[in-house]
Amino acid sequence: MLALIRPDSWNFPLFLHILGATVLFGTVATVAIAGFASRSHAGYEQLLARVAGRTFLFGVIPSFILMRAGAQWIVGKEFPGDAKTPGWVDVGFIVTEPGLIVLIAIGVIAFMSSRRGGGGRLATALAVLASIYLLALGVAMWAMTARPG
Amino acid sequence: MNTYQWLLVFHVTGAFLLLGGGAIAAALSLSALGRERPSEILLLFGLIRIAVVAISVGTALAFVFGLWLVHEAGYGYFDGWVVAAFVLLIVANAMGGAGGKRDQATVKLARDLAASGDAPSPELKARVHDPISLALSYGSGLVLIAVLALMVWKPGA
Repeated sequence: MLALIRPDSWNFPLFLHILGATVLFGTVATVAIAGFASRSHAGYEQLLARVAGRTFLFGVIPSFILMRAGAQWIVGKEFPGDAKTPGWVDVGFIVTEPGLIVLIAIGVIAFMSSRRGGGGRLATALAVLASIYLLALGVAMWAMTARPG
Repeated sequence: MNTYQWLLVFHVTGAFLLLGGGAIAAALSLSALGRERPSEILLLFGLIRIAVVAISVGTALAFVFGLWLVHEAGYGYFDGWVVAAFVLLIVANAMGGAGGKRDQATVKLARDLAASGDAPSPELKARVHDPISLALSYGSGLVLIAVLALMVWKPGA
């Protein structure tokens, strides 16, 4: 029952964090869908590469910032100062910080794919990397909600 | 993990699929707004079906495990925020469903045009930019964000 009780001042950062995380989940999924679809829809590679690139630029980046800023804000309230953060918070940091490298790689590939007309190995790499990042987001979501330990 | 934690995991997974599916649909329909070739519009609207599956599964998970959570956590089924959240979830689904039905007609037109030369058509463009469809679809997304706010703040709980 303690998990149900939280100060009102935590609600707004939590709302921003969850909203950012859900939109990030959806926009990364869109990048993956566009990557996979360009492997099976010959003649539409350029269109799908553009969809992936624009979704990354206007969806993934803003939602990542919203999710991460909300996380930092609420962690600052829940574990102020030098308070040690529990493992489930650390899982979130692992997904968002080292995971940022994967996200940057997705962005670079999406940009290159869009410039080169889409399709080919770049589209496959885009779909695979975006799927891996989706799995990582799933693990983070589980850790944030189940709070093991 | 206790029962509450398991229920919360499934409920939040549903919320992620629901809102994430909405984000997928929004990204693809926004991309369709900028296209004119019927086959391209057909492809993008076709991919939205993946989002519809995510939204449907997400709605079911969020609803069923949400009801279970209300019982498990000791809230009342007739608490104001619970009733408001369920009403808004139904409204969001009704709006999304109505927008989706209008989009079906757009898909049919795009399919016919793609099969007969794939030339841009003012009628198809008007359908893709149909303000009622757009208002229903994006309005549905805004209502879902309001549901998320209710879930976080739980006013009156």
